[in-house]
Amino acid sequence: MRKKLIILSAIIVAAIISYNYIYQDHRDIESESAEFVISTAEISNQFSEDALASEQKYLNKTIEVSGTISELNTNEITIDDKVFCQFSNPILNSINVNSKIKVKGRVIGYDDLLEQIKLDQCTIIK
Amino acid sequence: MKKITFLLLVLFSLSAIGQTKYLTKTGTLSFEASVPSFEEVAAKNESVTAILNTENGEFAALAFVKAFRFKNALMEEHFNENYAESDKYPKATFKGKIVSFDFDTLSETDSYSHIDGSLTFHGVTKQFNGIPLTIKVKDNNIVITGSFKVLVSDFDIEVPKIVANKLSNEVEIDFNFELVKK
Repeated sequence: MRKKLIILSAIIVAAIISYNYIYQDHRDIESESAEFVISTAEISNQFSEDALASEQKYLNKTIEVSGTISELNTNEITIDDKVFCQFSNPILNSINVNSKIKVKGRVIGYDDLLEQIKLDQCTIIK
Repeated sequence: MKKITFLLLVLFSLSAIGQTKYLTKTGTLSFEASVPSFEEVAAKNESVTAILNTENGEFAALAFVKAFRFKNALMEEHFNENYAESDKYPKATFKGKIVSFDFDTLSETDSYSHIDGSLTFHGVTKQFNGIPLTIKVKDNNIVITGSFKVLVSDFDIEVPKIVANKLSNEVEIDFNFELVKK
């Protein structure tokens, strides 16, 4: 009887562990701390000097960039025409073009068509 | 006087050339490789850059592989690490030309056309001809939508035997670009 109970509880534990593994949560960029804190000018310089090495360095990393807003849309902010930040939800903060901003997000790559660094899952720091 | 008119003409034509590009940074690209009765294998990328030259119909698109989002986080991880190898090949690109594109014939109702071009993914470039698409004008933007099918095996992607029956070799790709005049 006790043996059966142990086997049964082992099965349940294994089931819970594998369920949690298979249905694990997505990364939460908002709660992650940034690996790099950098200005748009600096990161853009690094990418124009050596796009490949910079891509290796920043790809899929959470970073914080600061600069001046150059373009503003419902879900996106472009900073200094160099860093494009996409938000998962419409931006509610009252911000304006030409004002200073600091944004946290995940680097998804360097867009060589527009020469911009793209971030997704962004949040405004200040 | 002649010089000035000439200069003005040059300036005018330069500005005209500069105005023939339409682009988006938030185009959508989604794919599905599901097999009925197994878990859905589908992802969506909502940050695709696409540029259309309205003078000649040349079209280019760039999607970051890391930006494909799956419902299941583990599936997303496996897609990036084992199949698309997005650290090694972070970009998927398409370069092509819309067949007999004429900007002046576009209207608010759908017009049907085709695009020929090459798709690069996972380090492999494959030519596609006659991908059907619909084009229309909406609020002064050009909206291009369509779908086509690719084969996993065409892009040098190895699918382990254990998941082979849960993953279709034929992948349906849908695209939707709302291009804004630049």
